[in-house]
Amino acid sequence: MTSPYAFSAETFKRVQPSEYYRKFLEQDVRPDGRAFSQFRKTILNAGCISTANGSAVVRIGDTTVVCGIKAEVAEPTLDQPAAGYFVPNVELGPLCSAKFRPGPPGDLAQVVSERLRKLSEEYIAFEELCIEPEQAAWVVYADLVCLNHDGNVLDACQLALLAALKNARLPEAQIGEDGIVRAGEAFTRAITIKRPILAATFGLYEGRSLLADPNASEEPLLDSLVTVCVDDAEHLHAVWKSNGGRCSLEQLQRCVELARIRFTELSALLESSAADQ
Amino acid sequence: MTTVTTAVGGVASFLLFFRAVCSLFIGATSFAMSRVELLNPEGLRVDGRRANELRKLSCKLSPLQHADGSAYIEQGNTKVLAVVYGPRETRHRAQVMHDRAYINVEYLVAPFSAGERKKRSKNDKRLLELALAVKQTFDSVVMTTLHPRSQIDIYLQVLQDDGGALQASINAATLALVDAGVPMVDYVCACTGGCVDSQALLDLNHIEESSAETPDLTVAILPRSGKVTLLQMTSRVHSDQFEQMLNLAMEGCRQVHAVLDSSVRDSMQQLADQMTHR
Repeated sequence: MTSPYAFSAETFKRVQPSEYYRKFLEQDVRPDGRAFSQFRKTILNAGCISTANGSAVVRIGDTTVVCGIKAEVAEPTLDQPAAGYFVPNVELGPLCSAKFRPGPPGDLAQVVSERLRKLSEEYIAFEELCIEPEQAAWVVYADLVCLNHDGNVLDACQLALLAALKNARLPEAQIGEDGIVRAGEAFTRAITIKRPILAATFGLYEGRSLLADPNASEEPLLDSLVTVCVDDAEHLHAVWKSNGGRCSLEQLQRCVELARIRFTELSALLESSAADQ
Repeated sequence: MTTVTTAVGGVASFLLFFRAVCSLFIGATSFAMSRVELLNPEGLRVDGRRANELRKLSCKLSPLQHADGSAYIEQGNTKVLAVVYGPRETRHRAQVMHDRAYINVEYLVAPFSAGERKKRSKNDKRLLELALAVKQTFDSVVMTTLHPRSQIDIYLQVLQDDGGALQASINAATLALVDAGVPMVDYVCACTGGCVDSQALLDLNHIEESSAETPDLTVAILPRSGKVTLLQMTSRVHSDQFEQMLNLAMEGCRQVHAVLDSSVRDSMQQLADQMTHR
């Protein structure tokens, strides 16, 4: 007979989330049945929005991000007169999770946007986006709308962004003698990606366990989050560690190692989605 | 009448930028600017439909598990996601109503959803007007008195707009509210109607909607009683044509109702199967 004070597993999870979580980790498994170094199932679908120049939808587990690329013509910046520029914008609206409130973009959305912009400097060929030096260049807007926030938005956003950029087609544009830019009707020009860079995020639990791809219920319980961005030549492009928990050198090395494995998985996914079109 | 608002920075240095953008836009879409034959002599429209034909309407209930209710609708190339949270505690004390629930509607448009990229703020007057129209529609249909002192949030995300985003949003919101189990007196089914050369058209697409000489209206009805809960028209039109358009649009609403109802029944059947096979 059950004691009247016994909780159901669901109640225990809500009342004592960290204790509930620890009980699972003691058995070397996570509450959703994954192993520590296992990422969630990832789905990629490129070219689903026809009003955009390029688009992609990414699902990592339940985390869903839609990325739409739009290109416009603008005057180049003063310090980069022969290059286009790139403006990513991440929206984590109130619809994607009960945690977010309506209003201006929150800290997380701004952090993710900035990180995507920083990474973009490494792989977009900006000089090819120039139409006429000092006069006209393409400005590429990437709007990423999160439809479901179940943790690890950065990985999802970077994958969606890269897939959408690969999917994007711009018209051929020339500047006339009258200073007016004219674009062709056919969308033929691809945006050159110098090298694909993808992100992999890991969480550290109590300084001991390294958990790949933390979901929304795990994220608040973790001491720190480590994001490693690698390219196809196994070079690192960014390592971000947030939340301030301690992390040993071995753990960081393990993160890099797993990020490389993750990269090969995701680039195969990118290839197959590009081949589908 | 379609109103075109253009935001231009007052600074002179923006002039070149603006001119470049304008000319590009005109260059790329010049075919849409010229007068398009919206209805050919055989009575077919630009996308090959007949005058009284709806676009393909497909809907999916609860695509998102984390919300209380959600629905995704594709009407032709118009794609809208509706998410409902609640009834839950009100966010602001000023919104507490002691005898009924407060309905909060946010209408969000993805910047890549239309032909030209527009970043609209949440306080954009046009979006607020649309959100208000949806809110007022559902205020009279949701049985708010059953949930006093609480709030129901309806978030509408337009992902792709190929005409009729408002009607698709209302239909999606209905499904999401049904999915959330919010008590309502009836479905709310919306549809648009228009008129070309005194021929009434059903369910306008973007080309038909943006054509300046085409009057268009959006109507939402309660299919069981046939009552109109929303009617929007801002064009000059003869009253005879108006009646023709309205009748056709209301007929379209009934067709929409049949699709929505069958998708609700299908999804409930699936749910029932899952529960009995457990």
